[in-house]
Amino acid sequence: MTRAQKNFAYQGAALLVTFAAVALVAATASANLEDRGIELGTDFLSDRAGFTLSESWLTYSPDDSNLWALAVGIGNTLVVAALVALFSTAIGTILGILRMSDNPLGAAFARSWVEIARNSPPILLLLFLYSFLGQVLPVSSVVEPVPGTFLSLRGLALPWIDLGVHGWTAGAAAALSVAILVLVGKATAARQRASGQRPKWLLAAFVGLGLAWVSAIIFWLVPVASINRPEADGADITGGVILTPEFFTLIAGLTFYTSGFVAEIVRTGLQSVTRGQWEAAAALGLSKARTLRLVVIPQMLRVIIPPMTSQYINVVKNSTLVIAIGYADFMVVAGTVINKTSHAIEGTAIIIAVYLAINLTLSALMNAINRRIQQNPRT
Amino acid sequence: MSAAVMTTRGRGNGLLRSLFASPGNAAVTLAFGLLFAVAVPPFVDWAVLNAAVFPAVPETCRAASGACWSFIVAKHSQILFGIYPFDERWRPLIVCVLLIGLLVYSVRPTSWRARLAGFWLLALAICWGLMSGGFAGLADVSTDNWGGLPVTLLLTVVAIGLGFPAGVLLALARRSEMPVIRLLSTMFIETTRALPLLSILFIASIMLPLLVPEDLLPDKFFRALIVLTLFASAYMAEVVRGGLQAMPKGQGEAAQALGLTYWQAQIQIILPQAIAIVIPALTNTIIVMIKNTSLVLVIGLFDLISSGKAALADPEWSSPSVEVYLFITAIYFLLCFGFSRFADSLERRAKGPMS
Repeated sequence: MTRAQKNFAYQGAALLVTFAAVALVAATASANLEDRGIELGTDFLSDRAGFTLSESWLTYSPDDSNLWALAVGIGNTLVVAALVALFSTAIGTILGILRMSDNPLGAAFARSWVEIARNSPPILLLLFLYSFLGQVLPVSSVVEPVPGTFLSLRGLALPWIDLGVHGWTAGAAAALSVAILVLVGKATAARQRASGQRPKWLLAAFVGLGLAWVSAIIFWLVPVASINRPEADGADITGGVILTPEFFTLIAGLTFYTSGFVAEIVRTGLQSVTRGQWEAAAALGLSKARTLRLVVIPQMLRVIIPPMTSQYINVVKNSTLVIAIGYADFMVVAGTVINKTSHAIEGTAIIIAVYLAINLTLSALMNAINRRIQQNPRT
Repeated sequence: MSAAVMTTRGRGNGLLRSLFASPGNAAVTLAFGLLFAVAVPPFVDWAVLNAAVFPAVPETCRAASGACWSFIVAKHSQILFGIYPFDERWRPLIVCVLLIGLLVYSVRPTSWRARLAGFWLLALAICWGLMSGGFAGLADVSTDNWGGLPVTLLLTVVAIGLGFPAGVLLALARRSEMPVIRLLSTMFIETTRALPLLSILFIASIMLPLLVPEDLLPDKFFRALIVLTLFASAYMAEVVRGGLQAMPKGQGEAAQALGLTYWQAQIQIILPQAIAIVIPALTNTIIVMIKNTSLVLVIGLFDLISSGKAALADPEWSSPSVEVYLFITAIYFLLCFGFSRFADSLERRAKGPMS
């Protein structure tokens, strides 16, 4: 048999085995579904959900559909993942730098943080933190640690600003401002390439937008906005926003865990930029800040971005651990929907599709950033 | 040079200098000094000075204001061995000692011979026999009653032990010249890696009864074992693939020119070098896998966390959950930290004393 024939035979066999397994599974599944009287279909998605969620960022009531409940779960997962990614990037960067510092106290602190995070299961960190909060929070009373805020077993109630305008308006304004800055930045760079001079357009744009924002806030927002203060009435708290122990545990625990990994990535990135780069930049007369911005950080990012991508994807995956302490993330909602409707196959397909979509989008985004950064190879 | 500097400065002086070398440095020192001063004394009060240890009865804990270690002392066997029948607990104890002993033996490079694989097969067979019993007068214990540390250790060892060769095969398949094999392997690896382990465990627990004929349906322990093994294989495959990609093409071509077959070339030339390159990454994957075994509690398997939770349910005690979770975290920490220290020393040895 020639090599090509052999390869053909191997592949045929692999396909055959795969198809046989799929066929066996499909046959068993349809027989089982018939036994249990379940029909495949997506109708259950529009049925009334009928279960409550402990907390959610999108508005939700048990009268909403299963589909909306799943969307609310995705929203909760994304909020947690985004906050944890944000905080752990910031804290991890500081830790990574601290670990490299010549201050023994700071370095030891960073090192122990990293070792604990790397060698403990995150679910145990969450359980530990949650039961710790359960012991230190006041059991049957309301405490006022700082005037205007209240602490009880239900969490920390904080004053909150009711904007009085729709959130979308503020979001659109912010997006518009960012777009203007990006365009002006591009125009500045183009002009610099063409003329060799760097015009101060970006500064002008910053000042202009800043003035616009300040005046909008003073003349438009302040008259309509109000502060929503929490009130304590016995053991009950009304008003304000409540930071629940579950949400706090989740964010703090996962941030602690992820920061340890980010710190190691940042440290590797820092170590990858050799001393000679700093010295060469200094010899060229670049200031420390410009050396960082133009020489060190671009080279560091090349090393850092790929492992950071997998860390961010890990954050999304680790956000499922909230199941241990009872926060309604996407997995919890999907599990509840599946248990209530017995549509296990469709539910599983939705779970796989949602995580694939989130993680593929994330890695596509990070890959786009990565391509931009890797685009200037040394020649 | 740094050694010379150290001796002229003197040690204490050097430490002081490094703590207050610059205003920024001094600020960091002060900040952490303050942090330690605020955090350490209450912790020591709680964990040591005001803690309750002996006698290990509920009253000791009620009387003390600090940590309730008496609970751990009194319940350690329940936490470590779960719901395994009380009188038979010497069996999981032997299993744990055997597995840990063999792990320690296996990490010495001098014991890496072909017979090591035989030892492991023998050890796993002994573990299996001891745990399930049903012969030679040993009471029959079904996997539903297994729990605690032996479950965690068995899951870890078997998932990594089977997941690694499976991962190597997947990595080779993903780099194969056969498109169908490549596609199947890539699909498996990418789907597995995109999903959280917890969702895979959950899917396995609700889908397997639907998808698999009843006679072939594995029990909870084997479900977890299969899922963890497949999960480990996908992650290890990507690590090994990284090593394969780092290999210069000439190695494979030279092997081919010598007339070696594909498998001879892979096993004798390519894989040993490729795997040596990725030992640090493999270490990280293995540590992640050890930590991952903590998730099997979501499918109702009695691992360390579940057995800890079950122990906490005793109404006699004041439910010292913080202490129990610290205890379990410490066990995992020792396993993972010990393993990573070992891997570091391996790496240093591989690099030689010169670097």
